[in-house]
Amino acid sequence: MTYIAKKCGVCFEPPSIILIYTEASKDKTRQRIMPVRNFSMFSDCSMAAEQLKNNSRHKAYLEGVSLCQLQKLYSLLKGHLRGESLAESLEKFRQEKTIDPEEDMNKLDDRELDKRKRIMDELFEKNRKRKDDPDFIYDIEVEFPKDEQLESCSWDMESGEEI
Amino acid sequence: MAEAAEEARAEAAAGAEETVKIICLGDSAVGKSKLLERFLLDGFRPQQLSTFALTLYKHRARVDGRAVLVDFWDTAGQERFQSMHASYYHKAHACIMVFDVQRKVTYKNLNSWYKELREFRPEIPCIVVANKIDADMKVTQKSFNFARKFSLPFYFVSAADGTNVVKLFNDAIKLAVAYKQNSGDFMDEVMRELESFDLQKSENLLDQEESCPEENPPSA
Repeated sequence: MTYIAKKCGVCFEPPSIILIYTEASKDKTRQRIMPVRNFSMFSDCSMAAEQLKNNSRHKAYLEGVSLCQLQKLYSLLKGHLRGESLAESLEKFRQEKTIDPEEDMNKLDDRELDKRKRIMDELFEKNRKRKDDPDFIYDIEVEFPKDEQLESCSWDMESGEEI
Repeated sequence: MAEAAEEARAEAAAGAEETVKIICLGDSAVGKSKLLERFLLDGFRPQQLSTFALTLYKHRARVDGRAVLVDFWDTAGQERFQSMHASYYHKAHACIMVFDVQRKVTYKNLNSWYKELREFRPEIPCIVVANKIDADMKVTQKSFNFARKFSLPFYFVSAADGTNVVKLFNDAIKLAVAYKQNSGDFMDEVMRELESFDLQKSENLLDQEESCPEENPPSA
């Protein structure tokens, strides 16, 4: 049986992950409630998401739901357990998934650095031209306008921080 | 086949293969490894030396018909590896210095990378590289003063889509070879002298030990 996931969300009371889905070749939309157990404000969201995705009873239903989305739902639940508002939790999650352009990554340890790299890798993979792509060209040379014709970058302009 | 044999003969005739060392510097996560991997594709077999926070890539190139063996030193930007830097710079023939056009701090930090480079290698060619232009092509409409200030070559590149990556590395290899061949670099001369000095000294010590084995070593 193949299930087509339509929507996946989280319910705080009682804590559960809820999936709206259809069965292949049937029109009827169904809802599946997967109770969240043994999860506290100290739990690890990635681990919880992985466990749910590999749960033998839910596995087949969750094939169309990404691990990343499940992680997000768990992190919202965790925020709720900590007493954060939904808006706060969403903002926190967004910050974890974006790069702070001012952050000096030379000061990070391997774990934190890898986190940032994974976020940046998403864009890299999106824009990446692979060797196996039919339109792949090994040596791409592009001439860009020379300095004289250009506007100075604002990064050079700050007073007291002359580069 | 015939071509390969001919190539081998030509190499033998030209004498020993030239070897150059090129270091890649810049902050953590500016894309140094990704640039190297894009240039070398599958041709690379990197050697990880995690204690030195270093990845070595070997590459065979041709410059003016001559075979060149290139050692790329891909370094870690993290501060806790600061003490390794001297070995990165040691006998390098060219430097590729990378920043991320999405992160200003990596551009600002070029200052300290460059300052350190010049302490160790006052003369080697250095190329400044603005990576990740695929993320925002508008940056290529701007001028970045750092390279101009020190009269260094400057390239806009993207490790993701490949823009100017091959050109960058081929130019770096040419610069490294040219530098090595015309090595008027004072530090190189000093290093050579120091090395031969070390050798002589240890030979002398050896002689002494042999000639007077009964003598106690001088106390420190």
